[in-house]
Amino acid sequence: MAEPKPQPPGPPPWAHGQHDGELTRRSFLRATAALAAGFAAVAALSPLRELQKYSSVEEFLQKHYKELTPAEMTRVLERIAREVEREYQVRPHVRDLKPMNGVEFAYALNLTRCIGCRKCVHACVAENNQSRSPEIQYIRVIKMPNGTFDVERGDHHYAPESVPEKGFYYMPVQCHQCKSPPCVKVCPVKATWQEPDGITVIDYDWCIGCRYCEAACPYWARRFNFGKPSIPKEKLNEDMSYLGNRPRRQGVMEKCHFCLQRTRAGRYPACLEVCPTGARKFGNVLDPESEISYILKHKRVFVLKEEVGTLPRFFYYFDV
Amino acid sequence: MDAESKTTVVLISLAVTFLGLRAGFQDDWWGQVAPLPSIPLVEPDVTNTATVRVSAAELLRTGGDTSGLECYTCHEKDKPPKIKFDTNNLVVLPKEHEDLVMRHGQHQRNVNCYNCHNQRNLEGLLTRDGTELKITDSTRLCGSCHGPTYRDWEVGIHGRTSGYWDRARGPITRQGCTSCHDPHNPVFPGRKPTPGPHPLHPVPRPPQPEPGEH
Repeated sequence: MAEPKPQPPGPPPWAHGQHDGELTRRSFLRATAALAAGFAAVAALSPLRELQKYSSVEEFLQKHYKELTPAEMTRVLERIAREVEREYQVRPHVRDLKPMNGVEFAYALNLTRCIGCRKCVHACVAENNQSRSPEIQYIRVIKMPNGTFDVERGDHHYAPESVPEKGFYYMPVQCHQCKSPPCVKVCPVKATWQEPDGITVIDYDWCIGCRYCEAACPYWARRFNFGKPSIPKEKLNEDMSYLGNRPRRQGVMEKCHFCLQRTRAGRYPACLEVCPTGARKFGNVLDPESEISYILKHKRVFVLKEEVGTLPRFFYYFDV
Repeated sequence: MDAESKTTVVLISLAVTFLGLRAGFQDDWWGQVAPLPSIPLVEPDVTNTATVRVSAAELLRTGGDTSGLECYTCHEKDKPPKIKFDTNNLVVLPKEHEDLVMRHGQHQRNVNCYNCHNQRNLEGLLTRDGTELKITDSTRLCGSCHGPTYRDWEVGIHGRTSGYWDRARGPITRQGCTSCHDPHNPVFPGRKPTPGPHPLHPVPRPPQPEPGEH
């Protein structure tokens, strides 16, 4: 490369503003290559535009749930209603229900009564706007032989003509709303926390989808939206809550929240109301007259995986 | 090769790489993940909250067909029907009542009609201590034998509830015994389970031990 540089007779018209006033073949090639590389990089990254992580600047700039003022929350709920309407052509009723004073929820499930019909699973899906395909379900029903308690060898996929099958019992498992929740401890962005009424909630707008909480949960209660959730328009439950059953987007966690859009309005959860046998019982554990308090006092309740120290608010029991 | 040419070469190769990637994305060289088979929707009736049967009280309340509760269209008053027993001491049902399944209690121990029905008033019930009850008040009759279960039902932890856990906010709906249990065959009826979870890939199911094998 020792050849002498040919001197151009004068500066070319496009070279105005260049300090040295020369444009060599080399510098031209370099500039073109840099430009091409830049364009090519943009072109190669363009599939990222299809990701709709943030549907609006408003959502991107939104503060953490706990830092929102009431006025800001009103605007956020309005935005959510707008987005839901745009996607599902249904005007939802979105609220931000706060925990009630003097209320701590607990759940009890009578394993002697459960027949394993999985009606609770689908009532939950309908109530909480879970994705139908890909499928997200908060409740799993595990079939185990009588006299055993080996969850690892339990069967989720039973499909006989009729349940209950002789010699087996069925154990539904969902979020246990632990008093010492490992999922909350591991969240790096504080997108999930425990509320004063005992419900561990998720701010779907704050979740970064790292799935640490899913790994931390000993009950496999958390679900991740790997795909874009799909809910048929006519199946959408319009009664929504910010921390509860509003539609989620791809890439966030979700889980059972004791139907907080119902229970914080005084109603029973959907899974309880649909249970044909009445195996599920729910209520305020701080009220000594409640059904749940009676069960905790009079039945031999136990919790799942007691040894991991999570102190669940979900109790199981057998009776006669 | 001096530094400037190196830069040029690197930049050109970067451009080629990126353009290649772009073309690759465009023409789907690597192949997209095969779309998963779509999951059929569950029929809406699995989410209904109806009880498994309609009790006499519910039938009277909603004004349904109560002809089955009017005993004296066929039977004569003051003339209690005589119950026939076979050689095993089991009730032989007359053909008018053939639809009944007599399976109350294990080992066929509680299959005498007059254990519960009042023979002096067939449209009513009679507990073992002689209390006469209306057919709509069957829960007290059941409770006269099933004490612990009746106690649980009274406090609200046996049987179905719906409505409001917070009684200050709204009412609660309770069900009586016969809304779920057939008094002649009280074991809760089995039903077809709703579809289980749809796994992305076939899951090897754990070996199912025989019931009783620990």
